Amino acid sequence: MEVKNRVQTKRIAIGVYWRKLIFMSGVFAIVFLGLSSAQVFKADSIGTDLGSSGTGGYTDSSIKFFDVKIKSDGSIYIDNKKSKYRVSMVGDIEEMRIPIVDNVNKYYSNITINLELPKEIAYSVGHEELLVHSVGSPMTFRVVDKSHVTFVASDVSPLATVTPVITMPKGTINPPVVVKMLNYMLEFSATLWIIIGVSIPLATLIFMIFLVSSRARRVKIGTVVAESSLPPMALPPALVGVLYHQNVGARELAATLVDLALRKNIYIMDRERDFAFAKNKFDSRLLSFEKILLSKIFKDNIFSNREEIERRINNHLYSKKISLVTGGIYSLATRLGYFAVNPQKSHLKYQTLGIFGFFIGIGGFILALRQFQDPAYFSFFWLGMAVSSLIIATAARNIPIRTVVGQEALMSWMAFRNFLSNPEKIPYSYGNQETFQKYLPYAIVLDCEVSWARRFSEHSFEVPSWYMTNQTGMGLQDFCLSLYPIVSYVGRSMAAIREPGFK
Amino acid sequence: MEFLKYIFNKIIYGGGIVFDLGKWLIVFLVALLIINTFFISIFFVDGASMEPNLHDEEAILWSKNSYHIRTPERFDVAAVNAPSDPTKKKYVKRIVGMPGDTIEIRGGDVYLDGKLLYEDYLPSDLKTNLDGVWTLSENQYFIIGDNRPNSNDSRSFGPVDKRFILGKAITIIFPRFRLIKDI
Repeated sequence: MEVKNRVQTKRIAIGVYWRKLIFMSGVFAIVFLGLSSAQVFKADSIGTDLGSSGTGGYTDSSIKFFDVKIKSDGSIYIDNKKSKYRVSMVGDIEEMRIPIVDNVNKYYSNITINLELPKEIAYSVGHEELLVHSVGSPMTFRVVDKSHVTFVASDVSPLATVTPVITMPKGTINPPVVVKMLNYMLEFSATLWIIIGVSIPLATLIFMIFLVSSRARRVKIGTVVAESSLPPMALPPALVGVLYHQNVGARELAATLVDLALRKNIYIMDRERDFAFAKNKFDSRLLSFEKILLSKIFKDNIFSNREEIERRINNHLYSKKISLVTGGIYSLATRLGYFAVNPQKSHLKYQTLGIFGFFIGIGGFILALRQFQDPAYFSFFWLGMAVSSLIIATAARNIPIRTVVGQEALMSWMAFRNFLSNPEKIPYSYGNQETFQKYLPYAIVLDCEVSWARRFSEHSFEVPSWYMTNQTGMGLQDFCLSLYPIVSYVGRSMAAIREPGFK
Repeated sequence: MEFLKYIFNKIIYGGGIVFDLGKWLIVFLVALLIINTFFISIFFVDGASMEPNLHDEEAILWSKNSYHIRTPERFDVAAVNAPSDPTKKKYVKRIVGMPGDTIEIRGGDVYLDGKLLYEDYLPSDLKTNLDGVWTLSENQYFIIGDNRPNSNDSRSFGPVDKRFILGKAITIIFPRFRLIKDI
């Protein structure tokens, strides 16, 4: 029964990355098939079912006249109605190619197309008569006067496509400015568009690097050479982490877990190929973000193994609780005066800008692909814009927003970091037995946990009481190799499910 | 005002989720669109004019950038914009005549510059109808369907400009798999 339950639980616990992957793969497959199936290319046959007369059994024959007018702006009117077709630029000529009749399912004994040209150029135009799927005689072309020509087709079958083509000298048409600009841009080579597409994000990247570095220069703390063997103040490690990174990430969450263990709120249990957390005591002095983090891990239980933690992490695609945890850390740091504005809000401002720019870029990209065909190199401009927006959203996180108070506090912590990462070994003494674990959460958020552990490599190691393992004779190296993956895994998993944009 | 602020916050909040969820979707979509627009795509054959080599409703993988890298080659099976309606209709045909060629159809056979053209992809007893002679300019190609008695192609609408040739058919992928070059 227990085995059955375990199997069922396993089935539910699909990781968030797997879920995203499955979701995206499904979308990818559907979209790819959708896009591809939209294209049908005709292996166009003659249409032998039309009968010997080509009428396809249609007995009511009729004569049809079309009045086609090419306006000086390049628009085309058929029987005084504006057509969606326009005169297009083809190299050094301007071309009208328009299917006047296309598979209308009606037999015509005669079709006459009277075409009015925009200028008196009838004697200098080129012409082509395309009559597809018709068994009658070829379409004929005739100049009526200086600005009028006529195409005549006879015995036009119900499946026929009748396309008169006129080529005019360049400059005959004077299109609107927008169309002119568009035509001008579409004449750019693929290489130029690729260069433009790459240059835009490159310029954005350079601008963002300049912005970040100029702000960083303004609030520069300089190289801290001093070394302090004590933390400058009693701060939760997560706050030190956000002061250092300006961001709450996996390290801040992992360090909070170790800190909670150190303060005997939880036990971390290392089992063979597994781990678990257990509640120890109820501490009324817990900070609100710590309480929320614990509630995410334990819910109502006092014990939570890997499977349960994974299930809780993966219960939703995004977790509001984790957002509350990170929001709480940001708020505390801002309240302490370390940041001029809440880093979360600052990130959000740029993220919003990035999101809007990104979607405009993608919208333009898709529109350009659809509007300008064969092939739409113009779309590279929009793609460049979308990538630029991503760069803004990502790089903005690194814009320094610490206040003078924050800078000073960070300098003190950097001095402490120098102590943690000092390569000299710490000599063994009875008093510093617990120093390693005491400062371990700070070492994690200050990115120097490995060098901190190295300082104790010559000590005899005693496994902390908050760390439960069935391994015997565990040394410092074994302890680090066993603890770090657990806390970093949980920290990373939790950081990944934070709701973006949550306030 | 409060309501507008609430709506704005909702949009920003929702936008964040859309952004995070959408970014991977969009990366896939953009990659797909780039591949589909500039490199490789699929089309379905509609009609019988390429029988017996391509059948109706077969799915064909085709390269869109082949002819940007190199010029079309004789006997390539190509995707072509229909000269009668290039914005809407696309054809799949075989390139038989190259720029500068003189193509002649006479007595059921195709002649290239006066010499009989050997076409091993056609059944030996198949005859090419609609006699005529076409001299191609420097930018023109002569395209014909493999189903010679029942194909609407350059024999009826004339040679096509290079601008109408879109890309090269590479392989049949469904319901059978076969490389076009092996046909």
